[in-house]
Amino acid sequence: MASINELMEGWGFGKQTAIGTANTSGTIWRHTNLTTKPWPKVPMNEDDKAEIGKGHEFPTQLFKSHYNMPPYEISKYASSEFLAWAMCFSLGNVTMTGSGPYTYVIVPALGATNATGLELPYFSFVQQIRPGGSAVLDEMLVGCAVKSWKLSIKNSPGRASAMCSVECVTTGQYTSPSGITLPAVSTPHEFNAGMITALTFNGVNYLSGGSAKQFVSMEASWENNFRPGFFPGSGSQDGYQIQGRFEWGDRAFGVQFVVRVQSGSTEYSNLINLTTGTATFTMARDANNSFSMLIQKMGFSVAELGNTDGIVTLQITGVQLYDATNGLVTMTLITPVTGICQ
Amino acid sequence: MRKDMETVHMRSPEGEVKEVEATTETLTPLMVAGWHQVPAPAANPEPIAQKPAAPAEEEK
Repeated sequence: MASINELMEGWGFGKQTAIGTANTSGTIWRHTNLTTKPWPKVPMNEDDKAEIGKGHEFPTQLFKSHYNMPPYEISKYASSEFLAWAMCFSLGNVTMTGSGPYTYVIVPALGATNATGLELPYFSFVQQIRPGGSAVLDEMLVGCAVKSWKLSIKNSPGRASAMCSVECVTTGQYTSPSGITLPAVSTPHEFNAGMITALTFNGVNYLSGGSAKQFVSMEASWENNFRPGFFPGSGSQDGYQIQGRFEWGDRAFGVQFVVRVQSGSTEYSNLINLTTGTATFTMARDANNSFSMLIQKMGFSVAELGNTDGIVTLQITGVQLYDATNGLVTMTLITPVTGICQ
Repeated sequence: MRKDMETVHMRSPEGEVKEVEATTETLTPLMVAGWHQVPAPAANPEPIAQKPAAPAEEEK
């Protein structure tokens, strides 16, 4: 028996060289996770129930089918390291500069110019409980990709005011034992809502001036909508078919935020007048750790009047428009960790 | 380009390589247009100027 607290998780901060080639130890970090379960492996069997000619309708044989690996969520307090990792692996076009701290500029890759077409960088995921001679769990899932993420900012104290959860998928390929000695658990440089230094949506600055006390919460999200990766030649593990690629489908970038309503609030008029503008969101812990999300052109699709803890609020749903020159969104991260997605 | 500015080498979809300032403002339109970061090209050693061969002196 083992306690779930013994579960150690590490994953590639560097990218794999190919979907079937695992990360090496030097490119794997170890982090804690608020998701309190391991990533399950789910081999699926099928039977011959549907086939006629047996003389009855009951199944008589089992067949190995495929690894149906469920998505797995890595949920953490937002930090410069984790956000850099999430943005790099979910968006795909990354530039890294500096010599410590390192600056990552990230935009969504385009299929026409991405070196790997519609595929994003892959990483390996290691999970261990008492690794060694009598391990309870020791395996490395190979060919993982970031399917989606959600960044939540809210009015609350402490680390929970800035959270990021990342949903990952994997092919079904694995090695066990992993052969990896995980490093010591990382201490990420975490943010909280008090570290927000820029918060301007569609012309309204919610940090200063007349709207300084309006802001309540924000949720930004990204979804890659991966297509199923089973195809002729996609590979097998233990006799079960595995997925050989994760190609993005119609990607979706969502932003919702809640603000208090006050006299002269411009959110309604911005919606009705189809006003668009940039949106800038920045959290800065210090000179070595910051996150900035620059949405190039945001309009509003819904502004719904409501109530948040007894205060009249508007829930705004943004529409992020693609700008011909500057694209959809640019993420800029400064973090002490080098080699993320490299 | 300012001397103290961090720079990065980028390659266009057509293969052109350019050294640009590593700022969000500079990189964003390039990356959106499909440019990708590439390693800095290795510095070429200075070509050694070869002296033209001196015409052999005529023996007197």
